Order: sequence, then structure tokens, then C-alpha cells
Amino acid sequence: MTLDYFTSILVPMLEGAQMTVLLFFIAIIVSIPLGFLLTLAVKSSLKPLSLLAQGYIYIMRGTPLLLQLLLICFGLPMLPVVGEYLVLDRFVAACLGFVLNYAAYFAEIFRGGLLAIDKGQYEASQVLGLSKWQTTTRIILPQMFRVTLPAIANESVTLVKDTALLYAVAVPELLHYAQTAVNRDFTIVPFFVAGMIYLVMTLVLTFIFKGIEQKYKFE
Amino acid sequence: MAIIEISNLKKSFGKLDVLKQITFDVNKNDVIAVIGPSGSGKSTMLRSLVHLEEINAGSITIAGEAFVKDGVYAKPQEIKKITSKMGMVFQHFNLFPHLTVKENLELPPKLVKNEPVAAIQQRSTELLRKIGLSGHANAYPANLSGGQKQRVAIARALMMNPEILLFDEPTSALDPELTGEVLEVIKALAQEQMTMIVVTHEMGFAREVANRVIFMDNGEIIETGHPSEFFTNPQNERTKAFLSRSLK
Repeated sequence: MTLDYFTSILVPMLEGAQMTVLLFFIAIIVSIPLGFLLTLAVKSSLKPLSLLAQGYIYIMRGTPLLLQLLLICFGLPMLPVVGEYLVLDRFVAACLGFVLNYAAYFAEIFRGGLLAIDKGQYEASQVLGLSKWQTTTRIILPQMFRVTLPAIANESVTLVKDTALLYAVAVPELLHYAQTAVNRDFTIVPFFVAGMIYLVMTLVLTFIFKGIEQKYKFE
Repeated sequence: MAIIEISNLKKSFGKLDVLKQITFDVNKNDVIAVIGPSGSGKSTMLRSLVHLEEINAGSITIAGEAFVKDGVYAKPQEIKKITSKMGMVFQHFNLFPHLTVKENLELPPKLVKNEPVAAIQQRSTELLRKIGLSGHANAYPANLSGGQKQRVAIARALMMNPEILLFDEPTSALDPELTGEVLEVIKALAQEQMTMIVVTHEMGFAREVANRVIFMDNGEIIETGHPSEFFTNPQNERTKAFLSRSLK
């Protein structure tokens, strides 16, 4: 086992990791705002909207992400009539799946965050003359964000590892290259290398969130 | 002339009548202490004045304008305009925990009032000096004691230049040794002729600062009078019973 071999497997795996990182950022950036909109929909006084959002969250959290990914990548194109228009690029389809799934989880996290905010905050805002919009954006959201940070961090770490599901829909990513190397070279080293890369990614993420938590300690 | 006119307020939660026919006036510069046992409707009455509670019947008129008349509320914009003449201080302070003391004071007027920022900053500096917390302008509420938090909450209410200040048990959540500093601030406001309604359990404070005491029990005003009369020579049996319990 030489350094040359190590480099030869590391380079493609790092390339695969780019896919992982790209998916992570797309999923985080889109699903967090989408999740918040879902929370608002759940809390809406429009009953049908609220029920629809609740149903959506139930389905997305109640079924495996892998099933959802397979459905979007391979299932949708099999639909009669509309199927042929639903053949998406695998990576795009996977992003869609992750976003739709994670939005449901973030919606639940944000709902919990809103529940944690004392009703006195709304009352003080009202008496001071703030509008509903000002109360939401200037008073409630920053506090909700603070309360939910640890849960968001946790969910983000899960997301990093869930990106390995790309393997199942044949998008070449980190794990795909590791598996290829293992089969080709009859060695388990690539698995350990893959593990190390995941650990580095989650470690960086953990530090970033610790930093954000520190910054928004409000003390 | 009365700055607040409250007539025939009624409110019920389901079958429970919390307020039954509450009627009283507040004159400019009055300091009114509202006392009574827990569950007597004092807080509900106070909260209905700033529309934190909806009443079922009756009228509330602030400086000549009614925002609810015979149980019918005005339009939301109208209610907002009329109730903005009042500031409120809560039992649990309700400071904004994600903002510093200075930001707590300055954010609401910046958002709501059409006023130059410099004027707002000047006022917050003055008020912080007045409540003795100039050194804590950049502290977060989490780092303040209860008494300090409540003083900040009073300053925050004053930032909106209210004509009337309402206090909902401002010292009930404080350790006994911290109530004094808050009561001092309220006393100072009384000396500056601020019109105030204070729901309180502090009998000594009511006696010393209020020019009228209202005793409520079971959703009704049982007795009202000048503190010198009220505390030394209560007329009603329920008042006597309450006072003998509280003044022990």
C-alpha cells in the first residue's frame, strides 16, 4: 500500500465528494426557506391550506427518503401520458427529492421553535405598535432561529450522510467511487477513506454551527 | 377631564364571568392602584384597555375617542391609533431577548414612529440614565437581574411617549429585595405627573403613591377611594377581609 495508491483513490473520491457538497448546499439553501413556508402554512387559519401542509409533512416524514428518491428518479417517468415529460436529470431529480423531504423536517423543527416563543413577546410587540409583519420578522424569527439552531445543526449533519443515498440512484458521488475502488482493488481501504471524508465534512459543519450558536447567544 | 372612560365592561371566558359591569374613569395625572385577590379580573381589565383581551360588552374611551363602544370594536387601524396612547409594563417584563437593552428601547420607535433616529437615540440615552442603567446599554436581557429587566421594560414603554402607562403586577415576578428599585422608578414617574394604572399586590406602594385605590373582587369593583380613606376606613366587608389578610 503506497502513497501513490492512496492518491489514486483519493482524487476521484474527492471529486465525488464535490457532488455530495453541492447536493448538501442546494438542499440546505432551498429546504430551509421552504420548510419555514410550510410551517406558516400549517399554522395558517385557512383550514384547507393547513391540512394540506400537515398531510404533506406526514407523508414526507412517514416514508423513507430512499423510496421518495427512487420514485422521483425512476417512478415518475413510468406514469402514463405525463411520464415522458418527467424524465429528469438524475442529479436534479435527487436534489428535488432531498429538498422536498428535508423541507418537511425543517417545517417540524420551525414549528417547535415557534412553540418555544413566549406569548408575551407577541403581546409586547402589539402594545408597542409593531405590525404583524414587523413582529414576525424582527421579533419572532430571530428568536425562533436561535431556538432551532441546535436542531438545524443536527439535521444538517444527517443531511451530509444522507447524500450517500445518491448511490442508489446512480449519481456518481463519494460512496460510488469508494465502492468502485473496493471492487476493483480488493481492499477495504477506500471505505475508510470515504468514512474519513464524511467525518471531515461533518466536523467542519459542526464547527460552523458551533460558531453560529456562539454568535447568536444573546448574552 | 377624564383621559380614560371605562363603562360597563363585561367579559366572560365561556360560562365564567371575569368582568361584570366594570365602570370607572381615570383623570389626567391620576395614579390608580388596582388591588384585589388573584382571579378577581384586575389583569383582564387592564389588558382589555390595550386590546390584549376582547371584551364582550361595554365601552372604552381614551382621550375622547372610543375604540370599543357598546361591545362593538372600531376598525383595526383605529384601535391601533387609539391604544397607542398607552404603554404597558408586564409582570414578566417581555423584553426582547435577542436585542440589547439599547436595541430594546430603540427598535420599536424606529419601526413605528416617524421620527429622526438621532432623536430616538437621544431619548434612549436619557431614559437609560434616568433608570440608572446607562452602563448596561449593550447588555442582553439575559445578563440583567429581574429588577433591572423591569426598569428596562418601563423605559421601553416610555420610548413611545405614551400619555398613559399601565402596569400589570410589575413587581410580582421579582425577588422581594428587587421590588424597591422598580417601585422607585414608578414613584419618580408619579412625581412627573404621568397618568398610570398599576395592578399591584404592594399595599405599601399603593398607599404611598396612588391617589385612588380600586379594589376588585370576583370581576367587580367593590370599593374605590383615596388611599388614606381606603386603607384606614374601608367600608365594604370584602374589602375589610382582603385588607386584613394582605396587611398582616
